Amino acid sequence: MTQVYDPRGAVGAQSRAIAARIPALEGLRLGILDNTKWNANKLLRELRDQLKAAHPLADVHYYRKESFSKFAAPELIEEIRRDNDIVVTAIGD
Amino acid sequence: MHDGFSLESLGVPTAVIVTTEFLHEARVQRAALGMQGLVPVVIQHPLSSLSDEEIRGRAAQALAQVVGVLRGTQPDPS
Amino acid sequence: MQLAASQAEASAVPEGTDLIEWYYEKGFADGLPVVPPTPAKVAAMLEALGGEPARIEARVPPRWGGLTREVLAVNMVMAGCKPEYAPVVRAAMLALCETAFNLNGVQATTHMAAPLLVVNGPIARKIGMNAGCNAFGSGNRANATIGRAIRLVLLNVGGGWPGELDKSTLGHPGKYTYAVAENEALGLLAPYHVEKGFKAEDSTVFVMAAEPPHSVTNHVANDPQGILDSIVSAMSTFAHNNAVSSGHCAVVLGPEHAATISKAGWKRHDVKQYLWTNAHNTFGQVAFNHRYGKVYNRSLPVWYGRELDSRIPVVPSAEHIHLFVIGGGAGRFSAFIPGWGHMSSPVLREIEGNAGPMQGGPRCVDGTCYL
Repeated sequence: MTQVYDPRGAVGAQSRAIAARIPALEGLRLGILDNTKWNANKLLRELRDQLKAAHPLADVHYYRKESFSKFAAPELIEEIRRDNDIVVTAIGD
Repeated sequence: MHDGFSLESLGVPTAVIVTTEFLHEARVQRAALGMQGLVPVVIQHPLSSLSDEEIRGRAAQALAQVVGVLRGTQPDPS
Repeated sequence: MQLAASQAEASAVPEGTDLIEWYYEKGFADGLPVVPPTPAKVAAMLEALGGEPARIEARVPPRWGGLTREVLAVNMVMAGCKPEYAPVVRAAMLALCETAFNLNGVQATTHMAAPLLVVNGPIARKIGMNAGCNAFGSGNRANATIGRAIRLVLLNVGGGWPGELDKSTLGHPGKYTYAVAENEALGLLAPYHVEKGFKAEDSTVFVMAAEPPHSVTNHVANDPQGILDSIVSAMSTFAHNNAVSSGHCAVVLGPEHAATISKAGWKRHDVKQYLWTNAHNTFGQVAFNHRYGKVYNRSLPVWYGRELDSRIPVVPSAEHIHLFVIGGGAGRFSAFIPGWGHMSSPVLREIEGNAGPMQGGPRCVDGTCYL
């Protein structure tokens, strides 16, 4: 037999649960995270208006990432977490 | 997906919107992060070259999915 | 924690199997045939990396595969590297995995950007890298295989397979290999790493997400301005990614051009400033004259003018231009190498040592580096 090698390296798959779901949007604070890719802002503004029309939200906050391709800064994530109950983010394209 | 992962890890339900072109990558990213429960909202690709009218349509496409993801009733896209 | 995918462990195939075909069939090759790793070759490479096969050097996005020393050794053998290249390849991978580089974005983007590696310091000559004639290809084992090893790691460990997680619309030939050394031996300008605060005897890797080189011809000018005006011309287009996405770029001076510039007493700083001051577009050009709706372009710095006739630079500062002297002694050519954009920062890192320049800042008489 001849030895062969797998050049890929392992992926460590620790399992992480998502946050608890909400029963309804009413009375919640909505955060919108715009990753600044082209037209993400237009899509999110539209969506925000449609969500507001359909659900009585307590508040809506709008955030923009510094760069569409980098992860959001930890400080921004913390600020979003602190001030919102639910978040919508776009766009992965 | 990574920002969605971060927020969900901190307890904030997050609807992550991707286009159809990005769905495969979104799946691989969430597997690599170990958060299989992170259901993405999918709209038709492209987004960058659309008119305002078409963007309105994409928002409408996303609306029900967003609510579904946050409430836990949205199935994982196939 | 359970391990999902396989590791670079021994498994075996029947004697007489065509190993080159086997690695192709498994999807572990970059399109070119790989060198099948053998226990002896992997061991030699691992020894050059310092042993400890299970030690993780980095996790490579977007798959976040664990780049252990053994996995790195396997990919380097497959690329055709010699063990003496190991410090360079490792340093390059560490640099690419630094947060500022944003390798996750570079791997996934639809743009054709590929990591460009430039090596400075004594190690380049020690391992036989080519900084001269045809430095960008082909014919030199060190350049070719160091760049290739990086790509194999990005593919295999990082999962950046075309069509899967690598969405580059076009790709470019640098995605096979894109590694060079700066031509320090000519001594025409101070070396890049010295400009940035390292000692000449330090060896460093510089990585930048880059488009292919755009050749700049000038066989007429015999002064710095004329030569640099041609490079300015190559930079002043709204087609490359810097024009619309800002960020960093590189400029390569061929030796004949560098000699003219150096002889006139110009230094690195002068070259970079001249290029930056003169290379420009109008805002109208990058906004398509608002033909598709009024455009602001958030990727460009807020201080750029937004009138149609506003003159805007091609990159935000002279420090966003990374200048190198590379190439052979004959031919009045230089090159402009656009970058990907503000989404990635180039990284300069010492090989086998500290990640940053030496303490106390660059060695300059009055504390300012006018190199």
